[in-house]
Amino acid sequence: MSEATILHADLDSFYASVEQRDNPALRDRPVIVGAGVVLAASYEAKAYGVRTPMGGGEARRLCPDAVVVSPRMSAYSAASEAVFAIFEDTTPVVEGLSIDEAFLDVGGLRRVSGPPVDVADRLRRRVREEVGLPITVGVARTKFLAKVASGVAKPDGLLVVPPDDELGFLHPLPVQRLWGVGPKTAAKLHARGISTVGEVARLAQPTLVSLLGRASGRHLHALAHNYDPRPVQVGRRRRSIGSQHAMGWRPKTYDDIDASLVAIVDRVTRRMRAAGRVGRTVTLRMRFNDSSRATRSHTMPRSTAQTEAILRAARSLLRSVRPLIDAQGLTLVGLSVANLDNHDAVQLTLPFDNHTDALDAALDDLRDRFGSKALTRATLLGRDSGLQVPMLPD
Amino acid sequence: MKFRAERDALLEAITTAGRAAATRGTALPALTGVRLEVVGDELHLAGTDLDVTIQVQMPIASGDAGVCVIPARLATDIVRGLDPGSVSFEVDDNEARIAAGPTHYAVRVLPPEEFLRLPQPTGDAVTLAATDFADALRQVVPAASRDEARPILTGVLMAAEAGGLRLVATDSYRLAVRDLPGTSVLQEGQTVLVPSRALSELNRVLAGADQVTLRLASDEASFEVGTTRLTTRLIEGDFPNYRQLIPQSYPNRLIVGREPFLNAVRRVKLLAKDATPVRLTLRSEGLELVAVTQDVGQAREELEAKYEGGEMVVAFNPEFLIDGVEAIAGDEVQLETLDALKPATVRSTENPNYLYLLMPVRVS
Repeated sequence: MSEATILHADLDSFYASVEQRDNPALRDRPVIVGAGVVLAASYEAKAYGVRTPMGGGEARRLCPDAVVVSPRMSAYSAASEAVFAIFEDTTPVVEGLSIDEAFLDVGGLRRVSGPPVDVADRLRRRVREEVGLPITVGVARTKFLAKVASGVAKPDGLLVVPPDDELGFLHPLPVQRLWGVGPKTAAKLHARGISTVGEVARLAQPTLVSLLGRASGRHLHALAHNYDPRPVQVGRRRRSIGSQHAMGWRPKTYDDIDASLVAIVDRVTRRMRAAGRVGRTVTLRMRFNDSSRATRSHTMPRSTAQTEAILRAARSLLRSVRPLIDAQGLTLVGLSVANLDNHDAVQLTLPFDNHTDALDAALDDLRDRFGSKALTRATLLGRDSGLQVPMLPD
Repeated sequence: MKFRAERDALLEAITTAGRAAATRGTALPALTGVRLEVVGDELHLAGTDLDVTIQVQMPIASGDAGVCVIPARLATDIVRGLDPGSVSFEVDDNEARIAAGPTHYAVRVLPPEEFLRLPQPTGDAVTLAATDFADALRQVVPAASRDEARPILTGVLMAAEAGGLRLVATDSYRLAVRDLPGTSVLQEGQTVLVPSRALSELNRVLAGADQVTLRLASDEASFEVGTTRLTTRLIEGDFPNYRQLIPQSYPNRLIVGREPFLNAVRRVKLLAKDATPVRLTLRSEGLELVAVTQDVGQAREELEAKYEGGEMVVAFNPEFLIDGVEAIAGDEVQLETLDALKPATVRSTENPNYLYLLMPVRVS
């Protein structure tokens, strides 16, 4: 049997931990990041039941003593970069999942760095000493088990799943620990008296499929039997590029929402062009006042990274959901472009629109040289451009 | 209401009117139906989705006046399946009874009061030769966009131009222009934008007809072919300024046989998968077409052609290229270009009435 060499490293309550690190008065106290919507909560706040994303009012009711701080995205970006530098220094095989989470494969490093458990231990110590943040690491033979292990070991822990007792580790866990089991799936399983992974494993695949549908049924069947052959992939290509803007509960006009969308499209298309990618499917994401969510998408006839073409598609999606927005109020708008292709064969467009491609290139160049705020649209002047959530490179 | 009619005539009428009926979820369920009205010894049928309306009249053997609306798809399928001969149709108690020989159907009808008020033709009538107009539509309509996010480009521009009628359509990747000289429908300088979907339907109606009568009002256009009338809402807005895009002269000109060129593009296209283009190498010795799809393979074909200009490589989406070349009348195609990143034109060497402007694919 092969050795457990895959690490899942996950920073604990990332934004809140950065705040506690930078302000000693916040240490050991419940901290909530984000006033409108909870973006992160420290473990002290989580003990009171505060979760993300949750409304600020509800969070303060649950935990009246919590200190609420505004997010400082640039500090989080800097912290993330420092942590990823330690990951890269640990092993060349790093697959970033988000700004605070990555898989690392440390197989083959035994002679230089020692056994995986020592590598993981050293990694945690370095992140604590050099960046000042707590990080949990799960170590296992597969990505799936490593992620489950880090979830079990949180906060600030280290857990190794021994290759000869993987099912012994997995089967007593509650079903919610399985990847892809959210509250809805968990409720369906609980209704059948199934609460542990071991109980899922005892069901035949057709039974699970009839209970949960084809895709989820097969997925859970595979996971419960600990089948996950995916290797750690370096620099995995994104399947979509997107951005979003949490707007809080204050009332807003359709024009406010449209302006947020314009700002998002500017950001997303600039990132696409910088990464040399074009996409066909534009998806609009919305979260309403009652926390329910909806998405709408449109597939364009050809791939593009043009600001104007993607804005046109995005606006037509927004118009189509206007009655829903008017009725329910919007707290978040997001946009992603998927169906991505490399930019190596691009159908050019007839230059009707004042040389759209040339305009995009000129704006990108100015923003690269003088910063993303150097130039903005008249419609966005005096508006909150929204939080720029830090991201992995495209 | 009730009537008796021949199955073949009823099938043709109900199929034609039913094509304009709304196909899916609409606020007014009646719009998924066909409206039937007995007027004297005629049956008047209509289908509409609010944008396009098709009305058809046909003679009946006998009938009692009245109106009903029946689901379009179902009614078309029912009539198609009946044995040829006489069909009886009678509405009673919210059910339409359709019978022919030994076959009987009872179908729940839709509320006729929800059906739209039917458009009445307004505007001056102009009559055109149906075959010329149908040819022009076949050449232009495929270039219109089907992307509803940009409604203007889903229309076909009809403009009065130099004493004739000009049709223009573009999806922003290619643009088709067709002139019908001597056909004056609009006043000089007047333009209207007609949904391409309506014109595709019109083209089916035009098959086999001699004449089409066109009427233009401020917000709708109607086309009458025999006893069939298609009315469409017009699209509001300004069509892009396309004239500035058509270069007056080109340094590079290729002349190639239409059939051999089409066959070559079709053959090479088999290896242009996943949106990869077909590359054309233009040189004085002739034309070479190449398609390469990674992990699949490649295709190459050489073709005799006359070429004036500098040797160059230009890549096109093969579907777009085929659309343009197919639309050309005549045996020879003339392909002109400035460079590999500028619009190229495709036209006939003999007939100046059609022009196809096509943007290349940029390859790295």
